[in-house]
Formats: sequence, structure tokens, C-alpha cells
Amino acid sequence: MPEEVTEGDPSPDRRRILALRRPSAAGRVDPEHLIWAYQSHVTAIYQYLYSRVGNRADAEDLTSAVFMKAIGSMRSDVSTAELRAWLYRVAQTTLADHWREFYAEATRELEDDIQREGQAPENHEAVGRVETLLSTLPENYRRVLELRFLRGYSIRETARELGLSESNVKVLQFRALNRAGRDRKGTN
Amino acid sequence: MEDDPEQLDRFVEDLLADRRPERTPLENDDALEARRVAAMLRAARPGATLPSREFGDRLQQAIADAVRARGIPAKEMLPSRRSLLLTGAGSMAAGILAVLGVERLTQRPAPQPWQPAIIPPHRGSWQTLMALADLPDSTPVRFTHGPLEGYVIRRGSTIRALSALCTHMPCVLNWSTLRTRFECPCHGATFAESGTAIGTYGDGTLPPLPPIKVRIQQDQIEIFSV
Repeated sequence: MPEEVTEGDPSPDRRRILALRRPSAAGRVDPEHLIWAYQSHVTAIYQYLYSRVGNRADAEDLTSAVFMKAIGSMRSDVSTAELRAWLYRVAQTTLADHWREFYAEATRELEDDIQREGQAPENHEAVGRVETLLSTLPENYRRVLELRFLRGYSIRETARELGLSESNVKVLQFRALNRAGRDRKGTN
Repeated sequence: MEDDPEQLDRFVEDLLADRRPERTPLENDDALEARRVAAMLRAARPGATLPSREFGDRLQQAIADAVRARGIPAKEMLPSRRSLLLTGAGSMAAGILAVLGVERLTQRPAPQPWQPAIIPPHRGSWQTLMALADLPDSTPVRFTHGPLEGYVIRRGSTIRALSALCTHMPCVLNWSTLRTRFECPCHGATFAESGTAIGTYGDGTLPPLPPIKVRIQQDQIEIFSV
């Protein structure tokens, strides 16, 4: 069994990974396999990030950053499950940094993500979250968000559909998003 | 700066146009939460969640370069390939299937014609799954029966059953009522209600979800299982 090798004081995350290491390791490290293990998570991590930032450019930058950080900081003798857990953990901290560009005090990441660490957050939960969120909103709030986001209507088209002025649509959208944001925060 | 409908709408417009939103400093947590919800809603729109082929290829290459450049310390040892794959199979239906799926995935470049591994069982019998009356129209219902992970789907008087395992790697698919399609939680492949893969994935198109034999007997839905 290999010796534990640590240099200096490892970061809390690194300590965690070291602690996770399974003692039954045997056989040679296969770099090609490690490459494959990282590569097979690209789509999942991209989706995780995309579903939180909602645009391709940011999702791509953040995904690249997650993999480069993870590869630079992780041992290679971990199981695929540990590697996945580590990738999601790095994704969470990377995402928190991203939102700090908008709001300096942003620290909170979704708690459900942290609790389910080690499991891939599942798509249906992301979809389910959106569906649940919309279903709890008052009718006019739900309607404006569906038109704008799920159908991609412009402000003008939404105004026509709802029989409102364009500035009223923006106000309705503002209230709907603020309400949904508070609701979501309340449930986490 | 105090948040207002115009400023928030600029963020929304950026998202809807798939532009990188401006980094406008926000005043409070509510303003941030409103934007996070907007991003979440934008991402729920159909067809937006898979990375582009160009980005995927570029990152795969960068990962390979980074791992090779970092090298692997001699003291670090890895579990054997097989045990590594099996420990990684937590979210997968069965370890052995995971190995089969993974082997297939890593054999490049020529993808092998796909063969259903379990479905349909060669030796089985008709077994009752549920009452026909309990199956809603047009909404696939998940079931687990013996070795089968499946969905049973009713369209008027027609009943079909499909394997619920993604044909990329055997993760159990979810049915999205919002987007009316099957979605894989592991790597994002999607399938139509018919079982046909939607769009391309990796180097080609994934095989369709294999059907499971199903019939109606005296108002009961029966599947061919072991």
C-alpha cells in the first residue's frame, strides 16, 4: 500500500480528499484512464454550471476553470466517485466566486448541492426545481416568466400577449423574479 | 446601486440572447437571487444544456494535456481499472453494465454496433406490472421489475415499454414533463418519447432505447420479465 505523501499543510479540501482515499489501492496508475475519468465528467459539470449561470460563455469559462483547478490540486489515486465529488466541490466554489463578481457578499451556494456531495446532481431535480418554483408563483408572475424564459418572447411580444405596456411587463418580470428568488432562498 | 426593472431586464436580455451578462455590482442579496433565478429559468429552456462540440473537443484536449503535464507521482497507485469502474458505478444501474458501457465508450474510433445487454430477457414470462387504469395517458411511468428498469407509456389505446437506461452509459433516465423527453442525469443525452436519441452525442448518434415487451391482459399491463 502506498505511503501517504503530504507537503506542508494541506488545504481543508485536500485533507478531505486524502481522507477519502481508499486503502485497497493496487496496480499502476494509468494516466489514460485518469484522463478518461476527467473527460467523462465534462458534460455533467458543464450542465451543472450552465443550469446555474444560464449562458454559454460563462458556463464554458467556469467549466474549464473547474477542470484545470481540479487537475492541479487532486491526487490521481482516487476512485471515480471521489473524483466526481471533488469536481462538484470545485464547481461549487468556482460558482461562488463567479457570483461574487456581481455581489461581493455572495457566499451561499445551494445547500442541497452540498448535502448531496459525491452524487451527481440529477437533471430531473434541476428541471423539477424550475417546475416547482413556477407552480408556486401567482398566475401573472408564472405567466410572464414562462413567456420570457421558456418561450423566449421579447418584451414587446410578452406585452402584446398579456395586454400590458412594455414597462409594465418589465415591472412584472422584476417582481416575479424577486419573488421567485426569495422563495427559492426560503426553501434552501 | 439600487436594483430596478430596467437593470434586471438588461441581465435577462443578455441571458435570452446567450450573451455573457454584464458584471453590474449589486446592492443586496435579493438582486442577486433574482438573477440566479433568471439564470436557472433560462437554463431550463429546451436544447440549451449541452456543451458545444467545439468547446467539448477543446476541453477534452486541454484535460489530456494537463493530466499528462502534471504527471503521476510514482507513489500514487490506482485501484485496478475494473475496481475503479465499479466503485464509480454508484449512480448506475449495475456495475457489470457500467463496465460494458465504459469499455464500449473507450474503444475509439470505431463504435461497435450496439446490442441490448439484458433486454429483452431470453427466458422469461409475462408478469403483471400495474392496472391499465392506473397508467395516465401520455406520461411515461417509471418501473423497476426484476432486472428491468423501464418506462411504460400509454398513448390512447397503445401501450409501449422502453428501457429506462441511457444507451451511452447505463444511468437511469429521467422523464422531463417540461420538455417531454427522457434526459440522462449523468452526461446529458436525451431521447424522445419514442426512444429515439435526440441530436448527436459525442462522435455520433446514440442507439435508441430498447423496447421491453408489453401487453394488456384483462385490464392489467403485463411485461415480459424474469
